[in-house]
Amino acid sequence: MNKGFLVAILAGLMPLPLLAGEYDISVDRVQIDTGDFVKEGIGYNGASPGPVLRFKEGEEVTINVTNNLDEMTSIHWHGLILPFEQDGVPGISFPGIKPGETFTYQFPVVQNGTYWFHSHSGFQEPDGAFGAIVIEPEGREPFRYDREYVVQLTDKHPHSGDRIMRNLKMMPDYYNRQQQTVGEFFSDASQNGLMNTLRDRMAWGGMRMMKADVEDVQGFTGMINGKGPEQNWTGLFEPGERIRLRFINSSAMTYFDVRIPGLDMTVVQADGNNVQPVNVDEFRIGVAETYDVIVRPKDAQAYTIFAESMGRSGYARATLAPEEGMEASVPPMREPARLTMADMSGMHGMDHGGMDHGDMSASDGMDQTAMAGMDHSGMANMDHSSMAGMDHGAMAGGDGKASDPFYAKGSGITPVAANGGKFLSYADLKAQKPLYEEREPTREIELRLTGNMERYTWSINGVKYEDADPIRLNYGERVRFKFVNETMMTHPMHLHGMWSILDVGAGEWNPIKHTVNVQPGTTVYMETEVDAPGQWAFHCHLSYHAAAGMFRKVIVEGGPQSSQANSSAATKQGGGA
Amino acid sequence: MNPILKIAALPALVLAFSSGAHAAGSHSGGHHGGKAMGEPGNAGNVSRTVEVTMRDNYYEPESIHVQPGETIRFKVTNEGGLVHEFNIGTADMHEAHQDEMQMMVEHGVLKGDHINHDMMNMDMGNGHSMKHDDPNSLLMEPGESREIIWKFTNATDLEFACNVPGHYQAGMYGDIKIDSTVAAKDRVEGESDSESVQ
Amino acid sequence: MSRIRSFVTVSLLGALILPVAATAKEMIADTTERKQALTSWGIQFEEFEYRYSDDDEELGVWNADIFYGTDDLKVRWLTKGEYAIEEQAYEQLENQLVGQVPISTFFDAKAGVRFDTPEGPDRTYAVLGVAGLAPQWFEIDANLYVSDEGDTSAELDAEYELLLTNYWILAATLDATVAFSEDREIGVGKGLVSTETGLRLSYDLIDRSFSPYVGVVHERKYGDTADFAEEEGGGTEDWFAVVGARISF
Repeated sequence: MNKGFLVAILAGLMPLPLLAGEYDISVDRVQIDTGDFVKEGIGYNGASPGPVLRFKEGEEVTINVTNNLDEMTSIHWHGLILPFEQDGVPGISFPGIKPGETFTYQFPVVQNGTYWFHSHSGFQEPDGAFGAIVIEPEGREPFRYDREYVVQLTDKHPHSGDRIMRNLKMMPDYYNRQQQTVGEFFSDASQNGLMNTLRDRMAWGGMRMMKADVEDVQGFTGMINGKGPEQNWTGLFEPGERIRLRFINSSAMTYFDVRIPGLDMTVVQADGNNVQPVNVDEFRIGVAETYDVIVRPKDAQAYTIFAESMGRSGYARATLAPEEGMEASVPPMREPARLTMADMSGMHGMDHGGMDHGDMSASDGMDQTAMAGMDHSGMANMDHSSMAGMDHGAMAGGDGKASDPFYAKGSGITPVAANGGKFLSYADLKAQKPLYEEREPTREIELRLTGNMERYTWSINGVKYEDADPIRLNYGERVRFKFVNETMMTHPMHLHGMWSILDVGAGEWNPIKHTVNVQPGTTVYMETEVDAPGQWAFHCHLSYHAAAGMFRKVIVEGGPQSSQANSSAATKQGGGA
Repeated sequence: MNPILKIAALPALVLAFSSGAHAAGSHSGGHHGGKAMGEPGNAGNVSRTVEVTMRDNYYEPESIHVQPGETIRFKVTNEGGLVHEFNIGTADMHEAHQDEMQMMVEHGVLKGDHINHDMMNMDMGNGHSMKHDDPNSLLMEPGESREIIWKFTNATDLEFACNVPGHYQAGMYGDIKIDSTVAAKDRVEGESDSESVQ
Repeated sequence: MSRIRSFVTVSLLGALILPVAATAKEMIADTTERKQALTSWGIQFEEFEYRYSDDDEELGVWNADIFYGTDDLKVRWLTKGEYAIEEQAYEQLENQLVGQVPISTFFDAKAGVRFDTPEGPDRTYAVLGVAGLAPQWFEIDANLYVSDEGDTSAELDAEYELLLTNYWILAATLDATVAFSEDREIGVGKGLVSTETGLRLSYDLIDRSFSPYVGVVHERKYGDTADFAEEEGGGTEDWFAVVGARISF
């Protein structure tokens, strides 16, 4: 029989995708102007951030990526469910894209929502190699809006990624300009008493830990859609319209606390997956996370989108206005956050013996019980019926102090809304529609997030990626990951290729994410349906933590062969997100 | 949460509700429009039935035309996976009612996918409870199907809305257009099969 | 909700039709830079300064540290010099080449060689030391030296930085040397040899790569070492005013 004929028959039998989109992306050296400084960087199609890729659920996309750099590159489609060879991680998915070469990605789009893409090579992503992905659903959106904007945040630094990594290795506090000073000692002493302040400083000095270790890399300019605060990116609206804002945090290192003074925000999507709507005044967006919110400005005035970094060392700012050129006031940044002993509670082998707990709590206002080591595992076992509807984020203490079950009790970085209102908590996130059937996990894997700030080494279970064996999962199992943060920094953990079902204690309504923040001194659980064969990256999304070793390869053993996986993935995830 | 603690927190809720009920305009003759927005209708005066489907989180249809003085039977079905409300009122009334609903969530009465009926019906003394039994509103669990008969006046700016926290803001509302010029047959916009004239 | 079932079915089918994917499908090994140990390098001049003493001596002084390596092994070149401007001679010129490995959370061990080639006799030493961060933020560098003449000595460097602000930094340094045997030729007596204490007020002008400072330095010789110095007509104690910059790149 004629070979071509056979192919034709087979092709006829194959279900052809209804839609097929082809996209071209070039990876280029670009100039990035933050308003504060101009910097050579890397972008896509001649700009950083790159284009907003608009896909349609069900579409088969073909993306031709041409490397115009003089070094290897790659593009990772962050949060997209696809065959592993298309995931874009050099050394795990594919070898990478050589200078001058064009690599063609091809995969079915099996989900909808807000995502992003970025280079997974070297420090190209912090250097500017990222863009946004918006996927329109097959059916209607389960919410209404009149217009939408991508709001892509980043922390553009005047130094190149390589330089930053080197400086951190040379002097871990190279970029930290929020350290405690003599002045702070005296102001603390006048507030808490000299002896308490002395004891406090001695306790931290004894650990060789800094309360100010909230942000490793300061000195950046916060940017929104490629515009610095002075350049003021502006999104237009007609009063009364509902606007969907697709927030994406493409920062290398920076968490942002986002608010729009004068507007309530309704969170409708997290990491591309719809959530039961939550009305909030402010939310914290971790590195690599996305949140979609709906706002409805009723008045013909300008509103400031204000995104302060978690450690208050910088901010991004943009404007929503009825007309170009209008602007609202930009609030001042709040006081820099300070870690407390509660944030240190995950650390093992620390000598707490010399510390006077009673006096510590006097000077820190902290709860001593937090020292015992936080473990939220209890949450998962709590009666779902009494948890699901509870508004955890709003359960602030009577003294107006911050409270969030995903932060260590007494943590110094627990967020509080600037207007005293509602700050989004992970505990508020409930899936709009469960993606997977609820079932018992087949096993639990503990991942201790470890590191040494003085050496700027970051690792998992005390082992850096260079020395680590892959994590092996079996196709078809449901794994429960237990993250125990033994460091004093927040880590946004990102598993490629498979969803992270974050345990917020809501059972089948637990939200589906691609990036899970683990705050210092806390334990967080997530579950993963191991439904994607191949090998995948799993890492902290802080660029310099990942590069320093907080990174793993995950191998999914068994399951259909990759080509089969492509089509099965398409049916499996069909109605996804 | 300990049920004792919850009960202890209830008096505040009751207070909020007893004042909030008026704000929500549930009683005709209330402060905010009251009679102007219409009143519960008699089954005998029903001119037609409008079928409304609740989904997560939107209605089908999203707009309804009625004539002044018309009495309509709304047959509402919750085909979503979450609890939803069907509430007739002005945008302001909905906004006021959302605060009450927020409280129901915070006190564990209203869950994402079900209602804690025991909590809701609990008598808290003085005849107060957190019952959600206003005549202009239906609070429904997934799979439920219920009816409401409403006699409209010529008031404009009415919406039917779900005031479960976040749902209205996300877009779970529909416009009620009081329009005497539109022929009865075209009174429902959107999916025409959702209407059945009695 | 049929998702689970469908993918279990697929996996069963897969198992029937295909050999286990992990073996059938060739998956690449990670040979990228990420899988290699991260190598880093840096150059730091803790001191790069002009000293003017109370008896009008002028010195050019540097104290630098150049490293290259990974978390597990670094090579360090430590270089120190005191150049007498008037005499056009090195009062001190010391170069160390050491390998450095971590031994605890905050401390590293060092081993290597030190070459002293100032004006006058040269010496070569074997070096064994520890360096790291002590509690309460003291930077410690302690070394044991054995010279090619068989003399042993020890040196302790300590530094503490007081942050007046996040840019104005007052750094206090102490450098003390003890000899366990006499080396008359280079003027070292047994016992406490010398101390150098310094106080420098710096301002971080360009990041942390250029921080000009002013300060005072006190040098003192003790015991036999002081006597040897006096015999040769030198002083045993000096006060210096210093101006310079901390430099790193």
